[in-house]
Amino acid sequence: MQPTSELAGSALKARTFGSMGTVISLTVPARALGTAAVPGTAGGGERELDAAAAAVARVFARADETFSLYRPDSEASRLARGELSLRDSSAGMRDRYADAISWRLMTEGAFTPERPDGVLDLSGIIKGYAIGQAGEVLRSRGITDWCLNAGGDVLVMGSPVPGSGASWAAGIVDPLDRSALLSAYALGGPGARRALATSGLAERGDHIWTARSRGAEFAQVSVAAAGIVAADVLATAIVAGGTAMLHRATDSWDIDVLAVRRTGELLATPGFRA
Amino acid sequence: MRTRAAVSAALASAGILIAGWQSGVHIADTSSSVASTATGTTGSTGSTGSTGSTGSSATSGSAGSSGSTGSSGSTGSSGASSASGTTGASAKAVGTYAGSVVQTRFGSVQVQITVQAGKITDVTALQLTDAERRSVQISNQAAPLLRDEVLQAQSANVQTISGATVTSDAYLNSLQAALDAANL
Repeated sequence: MQPTSELAGSALKARTFGSMGTVISLTVPARALGTAAVPGTAGGGERELDAAAAAVARVFARADETFSLYRPDSEASRLARGELSLRDSSAGMRDRYADAISWRLMTEGAFTPERPDGVLDLSGIIKGYAIGQAGEVLRSRGITDWCLNAGGDVLVMGSPVPGSGASWAAGIVDPLDRSALLSAYALGGPGARRALATSGLAERGDHIWTARSRGAEFAQVSVAAAGIVAADVLATAIVAGGTAMLHRATDSWDIDVLAVRRTGELLATPGFRA
Repeated sequence: MRTRAAVSAALASAGILIAGWQSGVHIADTSSSVASTATGTTGSTGSTGSTGSTGSSATSGSAGSSGSTGSSGSTGSSGASSASGTTGASAKAVGTYAGSVVQTRFGSVQVQITVQAGKITDVTALQLTDAERRSVQISNQAAPLLRDEVLQAQSANVQTISGATVTSDAYLNSLQAALDAANL
């Protein structure tokens, strides 16, 4: 029997670490942790969270070691320098390359894993893929309520108040004032959409090249979907492909979209309507 | 002579039915393809009308008028050959044609068109349901909204923040960092 104050349930515990050039945050309801721990001895839950965060960090570190173009020793860098060909690359590299090429087909080229200089850059799907993998790791550790945020891309499971069925509330940054929220979206809980990704012109990395060369229509695009890779890729594709890609995406995928034009005007699917 | 007329009339009917069927199928795709097949149908009845005036004087007036629209639709040449030398084929052009069932992510959609005098006069949906056979919201299109029309939130009321990727340095001053700090 735990004290009532803990059963009130809104207390969250977070761990953060840096990877892939950004910061990854793992947030878990305190109640979901250390259920076997004796109240007052505080430690079981914290240790469980530390171990879970370390496991998540290993997923991101492994992905970064293989796919980062910022690391000269990564497999991706060796591919980029031509020291390695795709057919001799690892199975993981070829699988992600196949994923990226199929996304390029499905988005009619709005998403592409190749830089204008011809270098293969899979960073557009690697972060999403790593987030999804990290989610599987958490699930395999028996943690069923969590929120994972990697540099603004979010994947959740369960609820911030375990057993309540309540959704995780995700805020969306206002691209015109990054200290304010533009909107919000309910993730997980009873809904099927567990992932929310946001792409923008202010984004780190440079996988939105078409946007740069054509003069992008959107300053920021958020996509809510069942899976984080789809949400991330489609947000990127809409920034690159503009209004035409936005409508193609809402026609072809079961997603919600909130797009901010450079003038500040909003375009949103019904799911974002107050 | 009568047999030949009857055979060619049957051929013309089949041709027009196929044209109608095709426009019924195309209508599920885009409106522009409907427009092009509709011109084709008009073209075929137009040619029927012009030959029909030689056969029977009773229908020549009305058939002649449809013939004038047919002549504008030069794309109807494919139907014109089978329809030549027939009478009464324009009457067959009145009818309803159902398109094939098309699977969309909103469920099965089947469209029916009504054709009169070679023109599509009505388009209705025969099937427009999802798996549970409820009527479904067809459009999930993104529409312009004012800022106060989208879901609102204060950073105090959310558990996580989505935004364009920030660098590790920029994270320090981000809303997400504030949330994380509060939950450490």
